[in-house]
Amino acid sequence: MDKSKVILCRCEDISLDELSQKMEEGYTTFEDLKRILRVGMGPCQANTCAHLIQKELAQFLNKDMSEVSVHKVRPLTLGVTLNQLANGDQNED
Amino acid sequence: MRTYDVCIIGGGPSGLCAAQRCAEAGLNTLLLDRSPSLGGQLIKQTHKFFGSKEHYAKVRGIDIAKLLQEKLTSFENITILTETTVVGIYEDFVVSTLHHNQYKKIQAKAILCAVGASEKFLAFENNDLPQIIGAGALQTLVNQTHVVPGETMVMIGSGNIGLIVSYQMMQAGMKVNAIIEANDCIGGYKVHASKLRRLGVPIHTKSTIKKAIGTDKLEAVEIIQLDEHYQEIPNTSRIIPTDVLCISVGLSPLHQLTSMLNAKSAYIQELGGWVPLLDDTYQCSVPGLFACGDMVGIEEASSAMMEGHLAALHVCAYLNQSHPQAAELIPYYENQLYELRNGVHGAKTLKGILKRKEAMNAQ
Amino acid sequence: MLNKTGVPTLEQVQSVFFNEVTLSSFKAVIECYEDIPCNPCALSCPVKAITIAPTLHSQPVVDPDVCTGCSICVSVCPGLAIMLAKVQGDTAIFKIPYEMNETFSPQQKVYALNRSGEIIGEGVVLSVSNKKHQNKTSIIEVQVDKALLHDFITIRGIHHG
Repeated sequence: MDKSKVILCRCEDISLDELSQKMEEGYTTFEDLKRILRVGMGPCQANTCAHLIQKELAQFLNKDMSEVSVHKVRPLTLGVTLNQLANGDQNED
Repeated sequence: MRTYDVCIIGGGPSGLCAAQRCAEAGLNTLLLDRSPSLGGQLIKQTHKFFGSKEHYAKVRGIDIAKLLQEKLTSFENITILTETTVVGIYEDFVVSTLHHNQYKKIQAKAILCAVGASEKFLAFENNDLPQIIGAGALQTLVNQTHVVPGETMVMIGSGNIGLIVSYQMMQAGMKVNAIIEANDCIGGYKVHASKLRRLGVPIHTKSTIKKAIGTDKLEAVEIIQLDEHYQEIPNTSRIIPTDVLCISVGLSPLHQLTSMLNAKSAYIQELGGWVPLLDDTYQCSVPGLFACGDMVGIEEASSAMMEGHLAALHVCAYLNQSHPQAAELIPYYENQLYELRNGVHGAKTLKGILKRKEAMNAQ
Repeated sequence: MLNKTGVPTLEQVQSVFFNEVTLSSFKAVIECYEDIPCNPCALSCPVKAITIAPTLHSQPVVDPDVCTGCSICVSVCPGLAIMLAKVQGDTAIFKIPYEMNETFSPQQKVYALNRSGEIIGEGVVLSVSNKKHQNKTSIIEVQVDKALLHDFITIRGIHHG
């Protein structure tokens, strides 16, 4: 299998090859990988890649899926522009 | 900032049933959904549903959506906002939303999350070629926007969704060249499979996709056979030409909103992945935060509806404004859920629910 | 077998069929071989000829002495697993549920297909019903050779050229 042609994060175009390299380098939590590869930070906010990357981590670390951490979730779930945020209080009733 | 007694996030089958019960109990209810129409996944389900009368058996999904919405029209104490995405929920139960270009916050005393699930994806070579699409997305494309993406397709996954969507694509005039299943048995109801077999659609078990083939877009797929350890059996590869590859390998609960409030969660494979943990009243580990439907365990629309009713009844009790018929309705819906799950197909869900309970008690 | 292929065995089909004497008038043949939570067939039968017991998951059983061949269950079944069958001389007549795009008209010759989608012969359409209560599931009456009684399941149009 050509790992460079297997895409795990569609939003940021990250392949299994890149992920494997980073895991080898010691980035072995989703949060680490997110910071170094931007996986989970695109428009879908990890909807596509979370479980795929979790599976790879579990295999790499020889752990059960339930022992692999999920990514930290914070507001906002979507991209909201600063303009929209700034005008927010005009919409309050 | 307006305050509501309960903010129900998600207007699919679960949220719609919950909204009805909250409104009936006199709660000042807000129902939010990011889509233009209410109904969640129901509005794409052109097939007739299973179950019993209480589960709207024999009614087409699209019609169930209408029936559920109609139950809400008589209430004055319910506000429904569509095309409104919840972008954040906060410790003090402020809910921030985005509606078109407008960012707006509301205050809720209780929050009920019923946001459903998202499609799982599959990792294989060239999986980013154009014309590779998830089953739910394909259903939206064909059943809602009435666009057929190609003449032929291959379906990966023989669970109910894979089988139902394959059938619907045949109805739309596409030709399903093959349904590919990694396990040695068909995953969904056999009647769904039989409907496809009589139309000449082959179902290949113990098979999976090795790679997608094409330059600018998908042209074919390479399918291989698997042994009992799900490993490739050498020299079993064959190429199936196809315009479209549809992936239906399961759903992942959308736990993001409850996770945002640090509600305790666990990875439970039987329920589809990460789910918020619940007590017996559908409440998360954060008081006043409730969740139900597919986001707490992948199941069906029928169970989502029953859970929506139950969670709402408990939300009312939490807010000290119990529903007048709670004493009859709670055991009634719990019995409905029991009936739905009391069979071969429900065993996995029951196991998952037990794990979810144990995890909640343990943490 | 059914679990792996989606096609029931001949024995399974024969187990839900009735003998030719019983089939002298239309009777419902229900091919629901799996325990799933579902009962609209039993609930919709106006003469209570279908029993689903002891639970919602039990497979339906038709009482041929009670069944009047009204075809309500044929369009109600969400799994399209019910058809009516009748033996008439050396032919078999079926009423099958149909939800595909092809339309058929009476006297039209069609291919007869088996449960694997293979052409096993030809048949002729006798009638097509699209009543409101069928909720967009057509019921097509088809006549085929009696030899196809346990093999026939659906039809496809014959297209030339």
